[in-house]
Amino acid sequence: MFGSRPEIIYIIAAITGIIILFFNVFPIINTFYWTDSETLIKTLFDREVIASIWLSLKCASITTIIAFLLGVPLAYYLARHEFRLKTFVESLIDIPMVIPHTVAGICLLTVLSPRSFIGRFLEQNHIETIGTEVGIIIAMLFVSMPLLIDAAKDAFKWVPPRIENVSRSLGANQVQTFFGITFVLSWRGILSGMIITWARAISEFGAVIILAYHPMIAPTLIYERFTTYGMKYAIPANIILIIISLVIFIVMRLISLGGKEKHDSRS
Amino acid sequence: MIRVHDLHIKLGIFEIKNVNLQVAKGEFLVLLGPSAAGKSVILESIAGLVPISKGKIVVNNRDVTYLKPEKRNISICYQDYNLFPHLNVRDNICYGLRFKKDKNRVKYSKNFRTLIKLLELEEILDRLPLNLSGGEQQRVSLARGLIGNPDVLLLDEPLSSLDPNIKWTIQEELKSIHQTIHTTIIMVTHDFTEANYLADKVALIHNGEIVQQGTIEDIFQRPHSIFVAQFTGIKNVFWLSEDEELKSFELKQPAHIGIRPENIYIHQRSLSTYYQYQGRIDSFRNNGIYMEIELSTADAKRNYIAYLTLNRFFELKLEKDMPIHFGFNKKDLIVINL
Repeated sequence: MFGSRPEIIYIIAAITGIIILFFNVFPIINTFYWTDSETLIKTLFDREVIASIWLSLKCASITTIIAFLLGVPLAYYLARHEFRLKTFVESLIDIPMVIPHTVAGICLLTVLSPRSFIGRFLEQNHIETIGTEVGIIIAMLFVSMPLLIDAAKDAFKWVPPRIENVSRSLGANQVQTFFGITFVLSWRGILSGMIITWARAISEFGAVIILAYHPMIAPTLIYERFTTYGMKYAIPANIILIIISLVIFIVMRLISLGGKEKHDSRS
Repeated sequence: MIRVHDLHIKLGIFEIKNVNLQVAKGEFLVLLGPSAAGKSVILESIAGLVPISKGKIVVNNRDVTYLKPEKRNISICYQDYNLFPHLNVRDNICYGLRFKKDKNRVKYSKNFRTLIKLLELEEILDRLPLNLSGGEQQRVSLARGLIGNPDVLLLDEPLSSLDPNIKWTIQEELKSIHQTIHTTIIMVTHDFTEANYLADKVALIHNGEIVQQGTIEDIFQRPHSIFVAQFTGIKNVFWLSEDEELKSFELKQPAHIGIRPENIYIHQRSLSTYYQYQGRIDSFRNNGIYMEIELSTADAKRNYIAYLTLNRFFELKLEKDMPIHFGFNKKDLIVINL
């Protein structure tokens, strides 16, 4: 910028950037060297591994849909309204993000146990949570929903309220305006939030094992194989989960970024 | 026709009080005032976008005070256009038609054709807002607001974001649209020149209250307060109370008088104006197209501000501290009736 020598801050940024990228990527790549293709293929047909990965994908996807249905209306309200306790409410929403996840799991367990009124209500209605898929989804939802609410809130804030005002004045009611304008303009941001929510849910371990060690999601299975049999047995499942997660993550990211410039009203 | 009766709005510590407006069908009313006076809030409350604490809004004999925005048939256009970025120009303009109860296609296609012709939008109908200039965006926004035959069109500083050249063009188009379609329009602006060009009637707003309303001529020639006088460009406002002064200005009682800076004449030699003074030039400032000159009388009792064209200023070879003659005519004297 000023003369031909790069500025010191940029040099520091470049060095730290390389360190960070190495720190992020190398451990993942390195895992691939710890196994051979034969074991990997064998693991691909390991029914326990397949079942756990499928369970992880299923529960994380259901979690994301629930988080979307519950979180989007609240996110929209928070993006559009100022009220006295707003900061407090926003802090309450973000609480799960600052609690260690095993602690979160135990907190949820106290609620779901028959000693609490909610646990008793569920038991009376024959809804089992502990040690079931429902338990896994509850644990995933608890730790990942704040991410979706925050992302959706930011996405809605980006749509100017005046554009909604214009739509209303042209005859569209609130619902028509929301789906015809606001949601159309913010869905990429919300989808980004859903991807992060899904990624957070699929990587959840601490809260899930407290509520449901069985049925086993992939991180629990990997943990069990690691503690019982060691690295050799944990790594193939590890690699499969990495590949599946990355592929889904990349595809979703491409969808959420695709054509973003096309009608970017920020310009 | 729209009638706003005794409107009160409370927004935190800011309050809008006693707003009464009456705009006849096809009339162009300008709500004029400095920024943060509450003009836009009044406009949005008429559209139903800001809740009111008291008052009544009647449009064509229909009480719309508690109707939702979409039920009022009142369109709003903002300074920052707010086109729908995912829709092309044609779909932006026609957006409101899909919510119309009467599906009179002939009527609305005629409106569409008239508007795109008046606003010269034929060439850009398939473009997305991202690829439009500010002027084009505002034209689309106007067409979108007008296509559904609104009872009232509300314009919130529609010319403020535009380059000066485009601003003039759009201003002329706005006038010609109003003369062609005869829609009732309420426009908010802080620019007196816009009001002067466009308005049939003006309401001046200050600190959440209407301080004066009437025709442009009323406001321009007969300001009811020092604020209105100064806001409409009367830079010289004096309080006269001494007998001698009152006599010289033919006033029976103490009063504020005002003289527009453009009505003050300056020369090195004596002038033939009705009122004339000797004085000197205290300072001057080049405002690009005119020179703002600060003058003081020889007895240093009063300071005046006068405007001269740059040409005239250089012709007279005026300089700072130069002794000069200045004056104004009786017809240009404005008595401010508080």
